[in-house]
This record gives sequence, C-alpha cells and structure tokens, in this order.
Amino acid sequence: MKKSNLIYLAFLSIVLAVYYLVLGINLHYKGYYNHESLFYIEKARIVFEGLGNRLKVIGLTSPILPFYGMMPFIFNYALAPVIASALGTALLFFLIAVCTQKTTKDPFFMFVLLALFVFHPGILYTACSGKSIYIILIFFFLFFYNIFRFYHSNTTFHISISSILLVALLFCDYKFIWMTLFFVPLIISIAIQSLNLAEKQSIFRLFLSFNNPSLRRKLVNKTFAIYIIIFILPIIAVMCYRILNQTHANDFNYFLDNPYSTWNVLITKLESSITPAIDNYRLPEVSFLTTIRIIIYCPLIVLAAFLLRQNIQYFLTLLIPLALVEFLKIEFPDVFLTQQYYLIFIFISFIALLFKSTVVSKNNIYKLLIAACILVEIVSGYVYLDNSFIESEQNFITVATQGQTKPDDNFTTTRYDEYIEVAQYINSMPRNSKVLVDDANAYPIVAYVKNIHKLTLPYQDIFLSAIENPSPYVNYVLVATSTNTVGGYTQLNEKYKGVMEVKNNIMMDKTYETDNWTIYKIRDKEASFASN
Amino acid sequence: MSFNNILDTAPVYEILVNDKFITNNDLAEINDFSSRTELSFVKIALTFGYISRKNYERSLINAGYQFANNVRDEAFDENVLSKLDLKYVCNFFALPLRIENNQVVTLMADPTDMEFINFVRETYRMEPRIILASDLDICWMSHKLLGEDYVKSAVFALRQSDPANSASTTFTTQQLIFIFVGLAITTIFLFYNFIPVSIFLNVVVSSFFLIAIMFKLFLALMGSRFEMHQAVSREEVRDVIDDDLPIYTIQLPVYKEDKLIKKLIWNLQSLDYPRERLDIKLLIEEDDSKTLNAVKDLNFPAIFDVVVVPFHMPKTKPKACNYGLYFSRGKYLTIYDAEDIPDTDQLKKVITLFEKLPDNYICIQCALNYFNRNENFLTRMFTLEYSYWFDYMLPGLDTLDIPIPLGGTSNHFKLDKLLELGGWDPFNVTEDADLGLRAYSKGYKVSIVNSTTYEEANNEPFNWIRQRSRWIKGYMQTYLVHMRNPIKLIKKVGIKGFLGFNFFIGATPLTFLIYPVLLFIFFTYVVFDFSFISQLFPNWVLFIAIFNLIIGNVLMVYINMMAVFKRRYYELILFSLANPVYWIMHSIAAYKGLYQLIVNPFFWEKTNHGLSKTNQVGSANPTTTL
Repeated sequence: MKKSNLIYLAFLSIVLAVYYLVLGINLHYKGYYNHESLFYIEKARIVFEGLGNRLKVIGLTSPILPFYGMMPFIFNYALAPVIASALGTALLFFLIAVCTQKTTKDPFFMFVLLALFVFHPGILYTACSGKSIYIILIFFFLFFYNIFRFYHSNTTFHISISSILLVALLFCDYKFIWMTLFFVPLIISIAIQSLNLAEKQSIFRLFLSFNNPSLRRKLVNKTFAIYIIIFILPIIAVMCYRILNQTHANDFNYFLDNPYSTWNVLITKLESSITPAIDNYRLPEVSFLTTIRIIIYCPLIVLAAFLLRQNIQYFLTLLIPLALVEFLKIEFPDVFLTQQYYLIFIFISFIALLFKSTVVSKNNIYKLLIAACILVEIVSGYVYLDNSFIESEQNFITVATQGQTKPDDNFTTTRYDEYIEVAQYINSMPRNSKVLVDDANAYPIVAYVKNIHKLTLPYQDIFLSAIENPSPYVNYVLVATSTNTVGGYTQLNEKYKGVMEVKNNIMMDKTYETDNWTIYKIRDKEASFASN
Repeated sequence: MSFNNILDTAPVYEILVNDKFITNNDLAEINDFSSRTELSFVKIALTFGYISRKNYERSLINAGYQFANNVRDEAFDENVLSKLDLKYVCNFFALPLRIENNQVVTLMADPTDMEFINFVRETYRMEPRIILASDLDICWMSHKLLGEDYVKSAVFALRQSDPANSASTTFTTQQLIFIFVGLAITTIFLFYNFIPVSIFLNVVVSSFFLIAIMFKLFLALMGSRFEMHQAVSREEVRDVIDDDLPIYTIQLPVYKEDKLIKKLIWNLQSLDYPRERLDIKLLIEEDDSKTLNAVKDLNFPAIFDVVVVPFHMPKTKPKACNYGLYFSRGKYLTIYDAEDIPDTDQLKKVITLFEKLPDNYICIQCALNYFNRNENFLTRMFTLEYSYWFDYMLPGLDTLDIPIPLGGTSNHFKLDKLLELGGWDPFNVTEDADLGLRAYSKGYKVSIVNSTTYEEANNEPFNWIRQRSRWIKGYMQTYLVHMRNPIKLIKKVGIKGFLGFNFFIGATPLTFLIYPVLLFIFFTYVVFDFSFISQLFPNWVLFIAIFNLIIGNVLMVYINMMAVFKRRYYELILFSLANPVYWIMHSIAAYKGLYQLIVNPFFWEKTNHGLSKTNQVGSANPTTTL
C-alpha cells in the first residue's frame, strides 16, 4: 500500500475523530451519560487517585480492555470515555479503510464506508456515547477479517492472529465466547475443503472422508488442530483470568457476577426493571424474530450471503454471528440485545463484500443494491435506536434530537441528575469529612465526586471495619433508599441503618435525601446525650 | 610391489576401460574435466562417482598390481616432505615419502600418472619408486604428514586475526569483575534488606521472562508472515541453467559415522546439481578408522573427496570445517551432517536467492526438521521445537533484521566471505550461532530460504541432554564473546540487533536456568503455602508472577502449536502442551552446560546418531558425530 494512500486515510480518520469528538462532547454537555462510562470513570479515579489496595481494581475490572482503552484519556475523567470511543471509532474506520484499500481499488467501497461512518446512527452512537462498543467492533472486525484472509491464504499467521484477536474480543465482551460453539461446523468444513480429494462437492467430500479410515484420521486431526489453534488461546486466557479472579477475589466468576468488577450485573438488573421483557411483552425481541430484526437492520447481510453462496466456508462464517445472537436470546431471554450485536452484522457483511469486491466492481446492479441497503441501514439504525429497549440508547437519541434527557418514570429528574446532585452534596461537605460509600451501586455518584479521598470505598482495607463499626472511620454513610431499584446489591441500605444504630450505639441523622439515596451523619449516642 | 619400469605398464585408465568399469565416454569426460581443473584422473574417477574404490582395486589387482597394506607405517623423511604442497599431492593421491637407494619412495593410487611421476623426477632429480596404495591411505598419510600448518591455522587463525571474537578466552577479566561485583552487591543488599531486595529481584526476573516471551511471540508472528512468501519459487528453480552453475562445496564433518555412509551417498546423489560442479568434502578425523574403512569398503561409486583432519585440540566440528576450507574449491559452501536429507533443489534455490539478494548477504540458512518425528515423545518434542525455531523464529529475526544465529547445518555461505570472516571459531561449541553474529557485526546479512533439510531427531534422553548441554553452553560462550564490549556491539549491530541478541541468545540459557527455580517456588507455594514465600510475593508481584506463569507458558505452547500447524504435523499439536516438561530437560542441560562452561569450556559433547529406527537408519551400534 502506498504511503500517500495511508496518509490520506489517516487524514480522513482524523477528520472523523474530530467530528465524533465534537458530537460526543456536545452530547455530554447536553446531559448524555451512561452507566458503563460512569463505571469506568469511577474505577479509573480509584486507580489513579485512590488510596489502598488498587491492584484488584486495576486487574479485575471487567471488561478489562475497554477500561484500559479509556486510561490514556484520564486527563479529563468526565470526557475520557467519550474521547476513547471517538478516537476508537475513528481508528476502526482507519483499520477498515486500510483493509479496503489493500483489497480493492474501487473507490465505491470507500464511499460506502464513509457514508456508514458519517451517517449511520449506530456508528455515531458507538463513537459519541463513550461506551465500549468501538473496541468490540475493532476486534470483531479484525477477527473476522483475518478468518476470511485465512480462507484465502491458508496461512498460520492469519489463523493465529485471529485467535489472539478473539482473546481481545472476549476481554471486551465475554458473551462472544459462545461464538466458539458455532465454529464447529465451520471448522469441519474448512478441514474437508483442505483435504486433497478430487471430489469438489462438499457433501461428497464429507462422505468420502468419513468412509475412508485414513482420510477420516486426517479429517479428525485437522479439524482438531484448527479448533485448537483458534480456541486454545481464548480458552486458556479465560482460565487464566478466572484463576486471577480466584486468587485476588476468592471467586472464579468475580469478573462476571460481581458488581464491583463489572457494570453489566447492575445494568442488566436496572434495565430489565425499567423495561422488563416479560411485562412489556416485546415481540420483536423474541428469539427467532431477532434474525428478521437483524436483516431489517442490516439488509447488506442478505446480499453478502448471496454473493458468498458458492463457498460454504464463507457462507458458514456469515452465519456465526447470527447464530450467536439467536443463542444469546435463548440463553439470556431477559436481556435485550444492545447496539453492538446489531452493528457487528454491518461489519461482517462489509468484509464479505470486500472479499467479493471483484464481482461487485464489475456489476453496477450490485453497487445500486449496496447503496440502497446502506440507505435502509441508516434509516433503520435511527429507528432501532429511537425505539430501543436499552435506556442508554434511548437517551442518546433523545439528547441528540431534543437536546435534553427525559426524566425517568415516576421521578422528577433523571437518574443521572440525581447522581450529580448527591455527588455535589458530598463535594460541598467539609474537607475532612469521610463518607462510607458502597460503589457496587453508587459508582455513578463516586464518578462525579471531586475528591475521592473523602470516600471510604470497598477496595480499601478499612471498608469492612467501617461497615461493621462506622463511627471511628467515617462521619457519613451513603445509603440506598428502599425505592432504589438496585438497592439490593449493597449492604448500605435502609436495613443497615437500623442494624448499625442498635449494634454500635450510634445515631444516624438524615442530612441529605433524594428519591434513591440518603446521606446519614453518624453521631455517638452517648456523646449526643451528653451534649443534650 | 613397486614399479620401476613405468613405461612398460599400461595406463590405469586403459585397464579400467578394458575391464569395463568405465566407458570411453566416461574417460573422455574425466579427461575433459581434468584438463579444466588441476585434478588428476584417479582423483576424478574415485571422487566424482565414476568408479567405486572396490572396483578400482579389483581391476588393478587383476592387472597384476598389488596394493600395499601397512602404508601408515611407512617411514618418511622430513626433507622429502618439505618440498611438497598438501593441496597439490591431494589432487593426485600420491605422496613421496623418503629417498631410498637413490630413488624416491612414493605412494601412489595411480602408479601410471605421468604428471606426478614427472613432478617427482623434477623435484627430487631422482626416479620414483612407486608403492601402490589405496587413495584413502595416501590421503590419511598426506594430511597427517603435511597438514600440521593447516590444522594449526584452522585452530588459531581467528584467535590471532580477531582475538576479540574468539571464544578461546571464556570469561574476560572485566566480565569476571562484573559478575562477582554484581553478586557481591546483591548479596550485601539481601543481607541488609532481604524481603524488599528479594521482591525487587522477583519483579526483575518476572519482567525479564515476560519481555522475553512476548519478544518470541512477536518474532513468531513476524515469522509466520514468511510462510506466505516464497523466497524462491519453483519456477525460478526450473529456470536455472545447469551450465551456468558455479562449483558448490559441501562439507560433511563426520566422526565414527560408518553406519551412515551409504545413506549419506544416497542423499547426496539425490541433490539436483551437476555432479562435476559439486565439491563434496567428507571431513574425517585422523583417529576415525571406522568411517575411513566404511568409505574404503563401499562397493558403489562415491561422489565425495575425503579430507583427513590431523589431530589437534580442541577436537571440535568447527576445527574440522576450518581445516576443510583450505581444500574447498567452490564459490559457495554448505555444511551437512551425515544423516541429513536436504530438499533436492536446495542448492539451486540458494544460488537463485543469492543472485536476487544484495551483495552483503553472505549466508542463507535453510530450515531444519526431522524425518523421525513420530518415533517417540522426545522426537515429537524436538520436531515441535525445530519447527518453531526454523519456521518462525529465524524468519522473524530475518524480517526484523536482527542477527540470526545460524543452525548447525544447511547454512550456505559465499566461500570468499566466509574466509574473510576467518571461518568458524574452533573454541566455540555453537560455532554456527557465533558465525551468524560475527557476520552481522561485520555488516553482512544472513537470509532464510524456503527449503528444508531433514535430520535425525535425538530419540534418547541422555543423548539429548548431552547435545543440548553443548548447544546451551555454546550460546553462553557466544553471548560472553559478543558482550565483551556491549557499546561496540551496539555500534556494530544497532540497538535493535543488540536487543535481539540479548533476548534471543542471552535470554535463552538464562530462562532455562531460572525456569526450575521459579517452578520450585511455585510448587512449594502451592503445596506448602510457606509464609515466607508469600512475603516474597506481595499481591501485585503475585499478579505479575501468575500472569507470567500462565500467559508465558501458554504463549510458548501456542507458538509451538502454530509451527506444527504450519508444517501440517497435526498429530503433534497436542504434544505442545507437554512443553513445560520438555523445558525441564532443557534446564537440566542448561545447568550441565553452565558447569562445563566453567570447568571445560571447549569440550565437545558428542551426539550419538543412527539411533533412530525410522528409515532404517538405526542399527545395533550407534555412531557418533561431531
């Protein structure tokens, strides 16, 4: 690839990055926030400003790569996730553009790519929301691109790079591990194709290789070898990470199940309580209808499948993400599909088009079809976001189109305004005040607190002592009210107040209260009687 | 039997033609070849595959000649020998020994070679008294009596011309001071502040491990890109014109390889290269009667020239190769072991690549692999290791332009440049790795070609450890030699080359030495949970250590998997998981190598070959090679 082309692509990416940054920062100041960003901000503040055992936070915050991806931008904690996602999405564009330039000289593909990155609401959401979708898409794209390259070149390099990228993908979104299941038929297909047989039809090749002991042995060896080469690294990496979780948190699944480690636990609960799937009976999110939703969201996938219909390997590869998404709907019926599970289809279909670029370039009908599909995708991208069941996606469109957020049901302010209010109250406390806060559910508040040294948090060794007997360690306690949807995830709730007052002979005076949070000031009973 | 009336006897070539051992066409070819070179008829006939030694002997005996038996016991006169040039007499298989009854007693393999007879007459102003002897006996005598200067030069040339690059001194004074002062400071610090210093050392070791492993993964990924690239394509090889090919020297250093001689000839004959342009030197040690007799007993034509290496310490393969250099005629030179099976088009590929590369590329390394990979656990592991080393590591180094430590065999040189470098270091037991470094430090480059030589994998654990201890000791020697002056090394090979050298040559023995220590600490920690170990591993160090332990091992296992996957040895892929056990063997070898480096640095641990049952190489008595 020419250096001038590379510079040109880098320039385009920088322009896109600026575009995303302007949009993202603007949305941020208009009041767009999401829990994922706030979670990472809070953890980053602990890592860089906290006092105590920060190692666990550094190593076991999950998903770990998006967390680390945000780290370089902590010069401004509030904007760090937005900067990371904006630059990350521009990087994604750059990577795809480089792959496009390497594969085809037809400028049509670059126009398609640019149109998607400039106008597609899903991609704009990826770039401007501060969420980690960008990094998932980067590794997803690179993983499948290298898988396709492997079919083309049959080299170990591409397959081993794919494996490493899959490890990275898992550390961005653990759910992609289920993809390994759907690789089984694909790998058998690759192994059959690679056998040295005169027969061309896959089904007959399969028949021949199953009925000949020598070929059968070769087929088994090769299938096993490919499976091992792709999946041994991800499997062992996950095992390794689980061991680290066990050694440092006494729980192999800490990174999956613990609200201190990952934002997913709480948000799944929160969002299912806002829009419970069963209560609302959202028909389109029923398992098998997901495929139809995806086809409407990304009609390009149909065209890609049509172009690749002759090649069983490529075709099966296209089906893998589809199978994954369907599986996720069965495995986690209460969890709505977030934007990345739709966006991946745009990218995999683009990869497919790239590998069929010679066919597309020769036929204007294909180009017209692609242009039409892109148009549909941009419209459906907006509609899907606007009607999303996910709070952060809905909010994004609301803020982008109306310039402000909608208050939550039954409340006067939004959840985020409430976090900011509580944080502001803590900020206004005297300098030496100490507040006991459980960041399992209060991390959005911690993210907005200016001086983290005022807070006593679970990563610190004294937290356990403080929770048992608060008065020697803290002056205030932040407690989740009974109306707080995720109040069950912390010990610091209304029950705690009663227990502590009795057990430790203290008084807890309400000093500040919102719909979901209360701050109590701690007083020794004896001292207060004496003063009375 | 001696021949005083030479003119009465028919020339040997006539006898051979009459006996139909050679044809008239062969004779014409030999004469043509002889006129173009300085080689005599008998030399060409016996060393270029026209007639076997057995048939030659048979034909002459039938014609009434009698071969002398105890040639090696013949008396000799220093004055007579002083007028001879070893290279010249080697071309005739003839050797004047002494003056007796006003005649020059001369050993000759072809008693009718008038050119040499005239040489004797002119040199000594006397008539020769010819003793018919086997060419191999004459060769042995010639090198024994006339080879002293050459062998001394083979041993000491590098030490005299470039002492800074000679491993004849293992540790320099500065290195000893550095090592002992370093140890002393560490001990003092440990004495005063044991826990923090131990933690610091722990972190240093962990970080070093991690960087070394990541570097290897990076190299492997770089190298794995190489499999897409064919340095020389089949079409390019097909287009090579035989008549344009230069003379190619192949050195075959052997020691007690009597069982492999036949196989060696078959392998050499399968090389796709014009016979008359091959200059194959079988380098046999003076005391290796077994191999010499095996060559003598061959009942089919051989295509190699025997060079007997006179005894001189150190008795190492590089010394033999250096000695062979004085008798090499080729433009290019390569080394094979006796059991090697090179790809048939290897020489042509190398020449094609040399022509494509810039002039400063002076060496091309071929991949090595094993033909007996499925024999047992050890051969499987060895195959995994070699696949990763030659298919990924070396191409990775090549891609990054980092000095390449050459493999033991199948490295092809431009002969003139090899001589300019001073040949191999006879005091270094991995002379090949050292030579690669020396070439880089002199501004030359080494490249990799897509051709493989199949060797015999060591299938016996103790034999394996012997061989590996020599390799690791050699790496230590090479590291010590080139790190005598690190600043100078950086200037010569650049910072990238310097780091590559440190993490590739330096780190390899070090990781093997540290590995069992870390493993011991780990198992002690897991089994006994000693509190003092916990003190050495505070949480954050434990984090790094566990990461290293698992990720490091996994990555190394994975690189091995990649390599056998590339080679399509799918049945070996799971054996990669056994690497941690295999590394324990490396560690045993590393400690043995370290011990020898201190007490006996130049000792050449011999490897028994011919143990394999595969391809009928194995036999009752294993042989030994340098």
